[in-house]
Amino acid sequence: MPPQAEPRPDDGAPAIETRGLTKRFGARAAIDGVDLLVPRGCAFGFLGPNGAGKTTMIRTLLGLTRASSGSMRMLGVPVPEQRVTALRRVGAIVEEPRFHLHLSGRENLRVVAAARGPEVRSRIEPALARVGLTARGDDRVAKYSMGMRQRLGVARCLLADPLLLILDEPTNGLDPGGILEFRQMIRAMVEQEGRTVFVSSHLLDEVEKTCDAAAIVDRGRVVTQGPVAELAGGGAPGELILGVDDPDRALRMLDGSELIATVRRSDEGLRAVLAAGSEPAAAAARLNAALVGAGIGVMRLEPVRHSLEQRFLEITTRLESAEEGVPA
Amino acid sequence: MSATVAAQMIGADFLKLRRRRGTLAWALLLAAAPLVIFFAVRAGQYSSAPATHAPPGGTDSYIDALRILAVFFGPLAAILIGADAGAGDSSAGVFRDLVVTGRSRLALFATRVPAAIALSWLVAALGYALVVLGTFAFSAGGGPTPSGAMVLDGLGFTLLSSAVTCAVAVGFSSLTTSKPAALTVLIGWQLVASPILTNISSLGSARELVLREAIDHFSPVGLGDRGGRSGSAVTLGTGTAVIVMACWVLVFGALGAWRTRTMDA
Repeated sequence: MPPQAEPRPDDGAPAIETRGLTKRFGARAAIDGVDLLVPRGCAFGFLGPNGAGKTTMIRTLLGLTRASSGSMRMLGVPVPEQRVTALRRVGAIVEEPRFHLHLSGRENLRVVAAARGPEVRSRIEPALARVGLTARGDDRVAKYSMGMRQRLGVARCLLADPLLLILDEPTNGLDPGGILEFRQMIRAMVEQEGRTVFVSSHLLDEVEKTCDAAAIVDRGRVVTQGPVAELAGGGAPGELILGVDDPDRALRMLDGSELIATVRRSDEGLRAVLAAGSEPAAAAARLNAALVGAGIGVMRLEPVRHSLEQRFLEITTRLESAEEGVPA
Repeated sequence: MSATVAAQMIGADFLKLRRRRGTLAWALLLAAAPLVIFFAVRAGQYSSAPATHAPPGGTDSYIDALRILAVFFGPLAAILIGADAGAGDSSAGVFRDLVVTGRSRLALFATRVPAAIALSWLVAALGYALVVLGTFAFSAGGGPTPSGAMVLDGLGFTLLSSAVTCAVAVGFSSLTTSKPAALTVLIGWQLVASPILTNISSLGSARELVLREAIDHFSPVGLGDRGGRSGSAVTLGTGTAVIVMACWVLVFGALGAWRTRTMDA
């Protein structure tokens, strides 16, 4: 295969593309026929419970371990065939960031810069500045907190001037302040610097707050992927919560409406699942008019917001039930 | 890989090694302390009974001091440094971060060797400076002192011993990816197994395969015949000694490179 040109920011190729990617350890498939498409210029969450295969996927992409079958491309470049070309513009933290503890932060970056090439050394100071470690750059890493090590790990990634950053559980071990800081850093890299950030996490909240799109992975398989908002909605029927002054009458009335599939009482009031094909905003307006017209006071009428957490639990529960042969 | 990148990577490996204070301190201690003790004891003996003890300097002391450095303690210092160089990245967990740079694993292995040899040479050179200093500073009695050529030969022998031992240690340590395991095996081999093997006469010419014997062949002062190793009847030709040393370096280098290239990072 002829060598491919270095990836460019605007070449339009997906950041990551895998087809049928499989990694087996003996009989067990840690990742199993994964088709993944990570678009450029977004924060992409790779979400799954512990042991789902997230780190194995990252290690396979980066060539730290060999795939059993399937194909991969990073920044449009096939790997592992041309991993040197692909990795030139990729930065990664796999599992927790590790360093030579006896060296300073700056010296650790020098070690990696030496391996990346002569032009990279000039990026050490900007990278330290970008993560706010300039003043502590000469301290031995052994004296760094977990948060500082995470930031130094990002600085190490930035030495590649990466088009793609791959961060494996980046908020593990960080305090709430550190998590917030890290989240802001990821968003800035995407929105201000145009980089693609691939974040693996088992924290649903983290992915929902940080990422534009996500894939949900379970037992080595990607079970769904897409924009976070779509995943959270997940094609579930629209739902409304209604607060009224006469719940019994409202319940009878809604039960007979063609706009409503089911309605029930809940702690929050009445919870109505819209009939298939009902557009939530229009249905809400018509229901409000009908209730008010019938003399029922409406204090609350709002759509139910599905969270990625609900969606994730729905999917993983469904998978577990399917494997156990129990109807979900 | 361009020469610039290679030089940078060797510099980075050298940085990792020289900043490892514990290893460097032990290496310096091994290279210097026995020599200081040796000359101090000789000086004490001579000053207390000059009639029965030779001066602490001069050619005889030079030969003994060279043996202490080049045959015993210098190689141990080289093993410490080589083991650190071979397993340092894996032990610290940063090997995968170096692999992720896209640099070839063979290059990552290959640059460890010159960096480790450079540091072990610095340590050995410091020890050798002590040998020469003691030899000439304590030769006030007017006895014979080593010639300039012998001093240069001794330096060459010391550096050869350090380099070969260090290169083998880098390869073996890269193979095991464990510094403690590499140190245990290599020091055990150097201090225990090698002397035993070379003194088992029934092994015959197989003893020529012992690395220490091959290195000793290049001693400028016949070290192998001194210091109580009279049981050793191993005599190698120069060609055999070169081949044996090359085989040790190449075999362990190849094993270390293979492991570095194929292991999961």
